[in-house]
Amino acid sequence: MTLFAALASVVFGAMAKDNTQERVVYGFKVFAEFMVIGLVLAWILYFIP
Amino acid sequence: MVKTERMQADAAEPAPGSAWLIGAAAWVIPGLGHLLLQKWWRAILMGGAVWLSFFIGLAMGGHMFDINPPEGSSLLLQLPPMVANFGAGALYIIAWLLGYGFVDDPAQAARATYEYGNTFLLIAGLMNGLAMLDAFDIAAGRKP
Repeated sequence: MTLFAALASVVFGAMAKDNTQERVVYGFKVFAEFMVIGLVLAWILYFIP
Repeated sequence: MVKTERMQADAAEPAPGSAWLIGAAAWVIPGLGHLLLQKWWRAILMGGAVWLSFFIGLAMGGHMFDINPPEGSSLLLQLPPMVANFGAGALYIIAWLLGYGFVDDPAQAARATYEYGNTFLLIAGLMNGLAMLDAFDIAAGRKP
């Protein structure tokens, strides 16, 4: 999941925003979102039989 | 000029032929579109992510989809993942020609990483689709 999040956020970060700094920040933001949402969903699904 | 007017003006201008060629190159070889546009970092990052994702998917034992549905499945279910896989361009075509990653093997499907591999292969194609659109937009002058 981490690898997937890293690769996807690199692509999203590279093609979004106008300057390098904004792209890096956006890439990290997308990575964090992938990770948080992935972990939250995993815990929700853990309790569903 | 406000943003909406600028977008309407952009939409009215047809993309030059070179933009279509760059788009096609970007699809066939992941990263090539940005290389031709001399966007080195984007080529390395976006192309690299696609190549890496594709080969990680194959190494994990992932399976790609083609137009022939397996027994018990329908074409309608087969088509969306096939379109996603097909986004990887020449990587997909070469693997298809070699028959690598297309065989329905129960032993391969039993691997713990099988579904992860499938996901990486799907994502490789989808990310290359995004990279292709990005290269096209840059070549058409719609994006810096």
